[in-house]
Amino acid sequence: MWPNAEHEQTVPLLRVADLRVEFDTARGTVEAVNDIGFEVSAEQTVAIVGESGSGKSVTALAVLQLLDGGRIANGQIVWDGQDLSAVDKSRMRGIRGEDIAMIFQDPMTSLDPLYSIGDQIVEAIRLHRKISKTEARDRAVELLGQVGIPDARTRLRAYPHELSGGQRQRVMIAIALACAPRLLIADEPTTALDVTIEAQVLELIRDLQRQYQMALVLVTHDMGVVAEMADWVVVCYAGQVVEQGPAGKLLTDPQHPYTEALLTAIPTPETDKSQPLGAIGGAVPALHEMPPGCRFQPRCRHAWQDCTQPPPVVRLDGGRSSRCWLRAPAPTESRRAEPEQELA
Amino acid sequence: MTEYVIRRLLYGLLVVFLVTVFVFLALRLIPGDVVRLQLADAPGVTEEQVDRLAAELGLNQPLFTQLGTFLADAVRGDFGQSFQDGEQVTTLIGERLPITLQLGAMAVLFGVLAGIPLGVLSAVRRNSWLDQSLRLVSVAGISIPNFWLGLLMVTYLALLFTWSPPLVYQGPTEDLSSNLVHLALPALALGTSTMASIARMLRSSLLEVLHSNFIRTVRAKGASELRVIGKHAMRNSVVPVFSILGLQVGHILGGTVILESIFGIPGMGMLIFESVQMRDYPVVLGCVVVYGAVFVLINLIVDVCYGVIDPRIRYART
Ligand SMILES: Nc1ncnc2c1ncn2[C@@H]1O[C@H](COP(=O)(O)OP(=O)(O)OP(=O)(O)O)[C@@H](O)[C@H]1O
Ligand SMILES: [Mg+2]
Repeated sequence: MWPNAEHEQTVPLLRVADLRVEFDTARGTVEAVNDIGFEVSAEQTVAIVGESGSGKSVTALAVLQLLDGGRIANGQIVWDGQDLSAVDKSRMRGIRGEDIAMIFQDPMTSLDPLYSIGDQIVEAIRLHRKISKTEARDRAVELLGQVGIPDARTRLRAYPHELSGGQRQRVMIAIALACAPRLLIADEPTTALDVTIEAQVLELIRDLQRQYQMALVLVTHDMGVVAEMADWVVVCYAGQVVEQGPAGKLLTDPQHPYTEALLTAIPTPETDKSQPLGAIGGAVPALHEMPPGCRFQPRCRHAWQDCTQPPPVVRLDGGRSSRCWLRAPAPTESRRAEPEQELA
Repeated sequence: MTEYVIRRLLYGLLVVFLVTVFVFLALRLIPGDVVRLQLADAPGVTEEQVDRLAAELGLNQPLFTQLGTFLADAVRGDFGQSFQDGEQVTTLIGERLPITLQLGAMAVLFGVLAGIPLGVLSAVRRNSWLDQSLRLVSVAGISIPNFWLGLLMVTYLALLFTWSPPLVYQGPTEDLSSNLVHLALPALALGTSTMASIARMLRSSLLEVLHSNFIRTVRAKGASELRVIGKHAMRNSVVPVFSILGLQVGHILGGTVILESIFGIPGMGMLIFESVQMRDYPVVLGCVVVYGAVFVLINLIVDVCYGVIDPRIRYART
């Protein structure tokens, strides 16, 4: 359970707790998410960061129960006081698009190639609103205008293959906003786009978030984006939350070696995007060969003997927490002094 | 689009032309001589009589002269006369073609109407016992030759239910129910492999589409599974099914030759079967040209359908 002092008084919009997600694969059952928990309150921006394979997308998809072949093996996803793992399918459909909307990592393949974008936006509206096609079309034109697609009324007839990647992601945003959801989950909405477009799309998401008074869960690789947009940051590593806290404090004073490493690896425009966060040596362990104890320990500069035991989730001030032995209450100064030795 | 259709039509004409020439030449290479076959019963046939009949039928001309004459006439819609009874080939075909088209349409209809639900079911209930048994049925359906299936039906229905196909064929306007009953079994035998191939193809293409990102988008909008499959997944899976259908039409047309003979249906298939035995070249040729044209035309329609379904294909063709 993740304490969150800042929002203790208010009931959060979304609360994910102790989430574990499993996939059955040819090599047996793998645990894509082991222990992830965080809260999102109304109009708040929560960033989920972590390297590729840390379970960010799986977590995001689990919230809407869109896991393709995966199952929620443990934990709760509570939306507005209601445990989503207990609701039936039709209630879940009512939440998707209406209360919680999502945009995905790859805009090139996220739209149905056989229907015009107008049809696809109208569909999103009419799934939840009992309005006529003409009214829905007018709303679609309005939405396209809001996401910055010029000449919206004629563009309604365009097919996805006629649009650029940035435009397709704008259409995805329009679809997500169709029913004015209370939470938007954006799973790396700009990784597939050019740097210039990336800035525009993020700017757009931020403006619309304000306009629609939505909460935003922003999944990203990019600590620069986190610094710019997030109120609260959840750092994931290998299927676990390793640290979380308010953006300002977490970014200036990280309490977990992994966060520290991520921060020293903030990509600049020159950084090769295909190799995010390359500055951290080593790689995320594969799902079937997780190290016992701390999962980051093989790559950690501070690792020592205790790290072969699973570290506790240590609660810190301001609702922050860190999954690290270094933050454990026991005296650690002497151990910290000679960190490298135990590793050799 | 129109330009594309015209281009495809011209291409189709070329195919039909080449098929005609090929069959014309191939027919002359099969052993057996129409003249001797026709005179076989008469005792003491003289060489003179043989030569006279050959001259009458135009068979004494050099091969390529015959081909030229045939093609020149064919372009004007004249496919000559039957060697057997002097009947105009076009008249013969005009009588027989509707019957075969009806049989073929029934076979296609059966294949599509049975194949699509089976394909959807096995994709949706993937790896269930239902899917496993449908897989068995499909593999059997694809591999069993249709004439064998037809023979099996005739034999077993006769043995078990003492039912046999009606002796006299009746057109749909004469006696619709007798007509449908008569055509039902051969249509079933002809359509089985179509059903099986469609089911297999649709299953795999649906499964692939159902895992694609845009389907996830549709689900994220809050659409029901019925809508996800019925509106988005199906349309995205149907192009490969259409191409299978185009090929299967060839199978079905070929199958009519034997199945019409098995079930005593006086269509083009039976006509071609009898004419080949009698080396009745003009009739065989006429039939082959028509079969070829039907096949080409249907595949053209299938091709045009791709564009209707998929805007990207439409775009590439303009
Ligand atoms: N359908 C699946 N079947 C099996 N394993 C899966 C499946 N989907 C995800 N995983 C595994 O779960 C782990 C987490 O994946 P996830 O997509 O959540 O990572 P991510 O943090 O979003 O990474 P990225 O930044 O590359 O998007 C990965 O190891 C991945 O291989
Ligand atoms: Mg991801």
